Amino acid sequence: MNSYLSTVFSKVGSLLATLLVISLIIFSLVELMPGDVAQMILGQSATEDSLRELRQARGLDDPFFTRYGRWIAGVVRGDLGDSIYMQGVPISSILWRKVGHSLFLALTAFIIFVPVSIVLGVIAGVKEKKAADSIISFTGLATMALPEFVSGVILISIFAVRLKWLPIVSVIPIGQTLFQNLDILVLPALSITFVMFGYVSRMQRSSMIIVMNSDYIKAARLKGLPERYIIFRHALRNALLPTITIIGMNMGWLFGGLIVVETLFGFPGMGSLLMTAIKTRDVPLIEACVLLITVIFALSTMTTDLLYGYLNPRIRFKGGQR
Amino acid sequence: MKYVLYQLKRHPLAIIAILVILGWIFLAFAGPSFLAYTYTQMDSTFQMAPPGVNNHLLGTDALGRDILSRIIVGSRSILTVALFTSILSTILGILLGFSAGYFGKAFDTLFLRSMDILMSIPPLVLSMVVLGILGDSTIASLTLIVSIAFIPATARVSRGVLLSEKSQEYVQAARIRGESHVYIMFAEILPNTVGPIIVEATARFAYSIMMVASLGFLGVGLQPPTPDWGMMVIENRPIIADAPWTVLFPALAIASLVIAISIFSDFISKVLIHER
Amino acid sequence: MNDNILDLKHVSVHYETFEGLFTAVRDISFSLGYNESIGIIGESGCGKSTLSYAILRYLASNAKIEGSIHFKDQNLFELSDREMEEIRGNRISMVYQNPYSSLNPSITIGKQLDEVTIFHRGLSKADARAASLEALELMNIGDGKNLVRRYPHQISGGIQQRIIIAMAILARPDIMVLDEPTTALDVTTEAVILDSINDLKQKLNMSFIYISHDMGVINKVAEQIIVMYNGEMVERGPKEKIFAHPFHPYTRALINCMPRGGVVKENTYLNTIKGYVKRRGDLATGCPFADRCEKKTATCEDDYGIRKVDDGHYAACARAYAEDVKSPPAKAFHRTTSAVPGEHDDSPALINIENLKKIYGLRRKVHALNGVTFSMPAGSVLGVVGESGCGKSTTGHIITGLYSPTKGKVEFKQRDISLDWRKRDSDTLREIQLIFQNPGKSLNPSHTVEQIIARPMNKLIGRKNKKERREEIIQLLKTVDLGGDYITKKPKEMSGGEQQRVAIARALAINPELIVCDEPTSALDVSVQASVLNLLNEIQEKTGTSYIFISHDLNVINYISDTILVMYAGFVVEFGLRDEVMAPPFHPYTEALFSAVPDVDPTKKKKVIELTGALPDPSRKVRGCPFASRCHIKVGDICDKVYPPKREISPTHYYYCHAERSS
Repeated sequence: MNSYLSTVFSKVGSLLATLLVISLIIFSLVELMPGDVAQMILGQSATEDSLRELRQARGLDDPFFTRYGRWIAGVVRGDLGDSIYMQGVPISSILWRKVGHSLFLALTAFIIFVPVSIVLGVIAGVKEKKAADSIISFTGLATMALPEFVSGVILISIFAVRLKWLPIVSVIPIGQTLFQNLDILVLPALSITFVMFGYVSRMQRSSMIIVMNSDYIKAARLKGLPERYIIFRHALRNALLPTITIIGMNMGWLFGGLIVVETLFGFPGMGSLLMTAIKTRDVPLIEACVLLITVIFALSTMTTDLLYGYLNPRIRFKGGQR
Repeated sequence: MKYVLYQLKRHPLAIIAILVILGWIFLAFAGPSFLAYTYTQMDSTFQMAPPGVNNHLLGTDALGRDILSRIIVGSRSILTVALFTSILSTILGILLGFSAGYFGKAFDTLFLRSMDILMSIPPLVLSMVVLGILGDSTIASLTLIVSIAFIPATARVSRGVLLSEKSQEYVQAARIRGESHVYIMFAEILPNTVGPIIVEATARFAYSIMMVASLGFLGVGLQPPTPDWGMMVIENRPIIADAPWTVLFPALAIASLVIAISIFSDFISKVLIHER
Repeated sequence: MNDNILDLKHVSVHYETFEGLFTAVRDISFSLGYNESIGIIGESGCGKSTLSYAILRYLASNAKIEGSIHFKDQNLFELSDREMEEIRGNRISMVYQNPYSSLNPSITIGKQLDEVTIFHRGLSKADARAASLEALELMNIGDGKNLVRRYPHQISGGIQQRIIIAMAILARPDIMVLDEPTTALDVTTEAVILDSINDLKQKLNMSFIYISHDMGVINKVAEQIIVMYNGEMVERGPKEKIFAHPFHPYTRALINCMPRGGVVKENTYLNTIKGYVKRRGDLATGCPFADRCEKKTATCEDDYGIRKVDDGHYAACARAYAEDVKSPPAKAFHRTTSAVPGEHDDSPALINIENLKKIYGLRRKVHALNGVTFSMPAGSVLGVVGESGCGKSTTGHIITGLYSPTKGKVEFKQRDISLDWRKRDSDTLREIQLIFQNPGKSLNPSHTVEQIIARPMNKLIGRKNKKERREEIIQLLKTVDLGGDYITKKPKEMSGGEQQRVAIARALAINPELIVCDEPTSALDVSVQASVLNLLNEIQEKTGTSYIFISHDLNVINYISDTILVMYAGFVVEFGLRDEVMAPPFHPYTEALFSAVPDVDPTKKKKVIELTGALPDPSRKVRGCPFASRCHIKVGDICDKVYPPKREISPTHYYYCHAERSS
């Protein structure tokens, strides 16, 4: 296991390095934005003196790296700065709750699409070229092609407008929590699920087909083992491995989809917060949101990487005598 | 070629897909000239009219604008941006991916690390933030930014294909002749990578449409008066309960196009894989 | 009721394809008795593999079968899938070619072994494990207890194959079918496995069907031989009779294609079979070999079928030695270059290698070459022989410039060319060429033959005039026995043999002085190999080109070389004129290598020197003799600690060993 542990450490190390570089990129990108921050805070009618005072107080005229350093130091301490748009409200107070909501939404979608995609993908792979496969494959292809807001719109039209089973917008009434309004999760989660299902089930299917056509499965059949046993004990564990990587790789789409879905449904999460931040040019908020999204994304990628390494004997146990 | 026709016969779905794509291309070129209304005309007496009313085949939106007309004009911009994006990202992907795969070692490591970093920010988030910062988007800026966001994907495919060819003996044979690097990459290896690259390019076209539509939806797409399909969805979202067609039809337009291209891409990959 | 354990009657297998129905196996009938072993020999496309899968009834969904296969009293073609599951791996088991890909990478060896007895014998987990360990012991695999906890990627190829065989015998089947099980392995490893198989024959009462393209291997494990060609059985009989007097012209031609002990280029022109195998549909009749046969007559179309020609010996045609159609006179190879190289030649060596070292990799090092020195005169053929990991390919790569050496010098025509291809001058590039092992991959699949040959002509010898160049190319194709119409073909439209000829034409196009041939015939059928070897000899006859011929196949090296260099683990272990090295070999590795090569002549029995132990770790520098860990005549500790001295037996023959050996 030693070599595996060292892999873990090196992966965590490169994750931190990557995050550092990303934060620098985010910071520079956003700071390059045209517009004067001080002006935005004090409004159009501010005097030159008050603007200068504000700039000095906030250190807005300091060199680039000083400002960057200050920001990073703050982040590490948990202080994400103050929102400009919301008149100096500390970002941390609003951000974390929204992050919680988004993660909950993502988790709901995850719990739905992962098992469904894998199971249907395996079935499609095993019954290749038969009816079940054609249906599942086509459904996967179709849903994969629909951007989240498209499937969202269709879902809303059917379930909210026509059938009136679920609310049209996913907002939480003031004073209540998410848990008191779980029905607002359904449609957004489903919208995200559609796209991910398409992608993952197709990958799972082709992975299953490749495995079922492999030499070692042929060898297992020639050993006279029952077909059921071969599928579940021999094929599955090799066919599932690549899917783990695929799910990890598609986390990126999932997060992008989250933003779209939240905007469509008005769901109070990180995504809609980011949208607002961009519209209002709220620099600290943009930086904080993007940084957080990136961190979560990078963490999830690293986790899937490590999980894959653990489950794959070829990586976990280094090859020996050849 | 005979094989393509043989396969086409067995995949009626692909035929439908090709027809749909051709249909959209035709509509984009022809424009709404044959329709009763232009895309900016506002029919004030028939706002939020359901389909069929007053020659509005797909109804009107809150300002009385003909939806069908707007969809047809919108197809031009979305197809243009998507086409340019897929071409640009494929070319950039080939240049970067080939160089990284061919020269290997330091170059490749640098490439992989950069891609890692670029990939850490979800492509939609990246595009959205950059375009939002830049202000009003144009066809050029959309194409450029989305292409950059797609580079990790296209470059990875190109690099993979190049690596699998690089180890083949005919490349070694070329080296022994003393051929230059450029010759080997483009005269020897490239012709053998055309298949997978074309498949990837068609898939990329589908993703481009999805991306552009999503960006339009998020408000950073092409601005009015150009009717952007994604934008049409978000701006009519508030009236979805009363006039669902204003949102549904643009959404279905997007869906039909992307699904057709995906089916086509799938079919192409089946045909080309046999060729090898 | 029946004396035979397996009875095939009129078995045919057809495949439905995009281009129509094609017949892989046509009307095969034979029986396998109890404790009998039959070898099936044939070249690619003869249907031997399809036949083996038909016996296991494991065919693709587009296959159509005719006839019957009776196993004891049951017709295998009539059983249900469930019933076949009970037979496979249990009563009839199979061992196939690539051991690594046949093992599930995610399941431990132990579990994969246990499965067999758990399902077929209903054993408990503990009992199954005990049975598995016993089977491993039967296969002479030590340390079974540790092995069963490992995963396939952690063990070597030779042991993997023995594990597969162990899996095949666990349920004590009645019949074992082996489809080219040793083709992917080194000769010395192969010898060990063949001995294990013979061991099994003695201990367990099993019948064997052994499929191979290598006559020598079949001779070692089988008594009866079936010769297949293009889906049909053309001859069958005891191996001694088939070798001594084959009846079918194909059998005779096939045997004469094979290089073997005593057959060298000066006294024999290898027999070749012109043309190539064409797929036949289900309605074809007559002899499948007719279109390529030298002894063809009018009756080949109609009066064709298997009949008895001698005791236990059957053939579909008896014209192998027919006198009415004269075979073209046998040719022999004439040396044009001066006497035996190295004797007293004053002319300088063509190529001189001094202390060549090559280390790959930075963190994990591979010591591919550890100080190789040799030289060769112009106009001769140097054969380099050794097994995997010996460094022969690396040597070839450095000489042709694909890689540059880490240390040491390569001198060509007295110029120092220890550089890689980017730095070599155009003269050197033109004078040294390379022919690769895999002809299909060494030609760019997107280029036509004309483009492939024209490019080096254009670049290295400045033939820019298209028309003249095309004429030259057509002439070149003639020299390699290909028609002018080939210039528009692409590689995938040609067979392996044709592709290799194009590769040879490409190398010749610029008149090189030295051609390095890196296992050029290893991927080809025996008959095609023969024609390529003949071609190489002819070319040398005409142009005096020198060859460095790299191969793991001793018989081929014996046939074509003037001098032989034996390599092991990146070192030279023996060098000399062909006749000096072949009889007798002095270095213990050479000796073991020779003993391991099975003979095409079944009457020649060799004592195999089995090598145990492993190759030295390539990531470390070797101290002492590299062969010490496996040597059967190891002198003592000195072999591990001190590099052996050079012993010269003649001015042209030397080897490195601590033991003094006399002939």
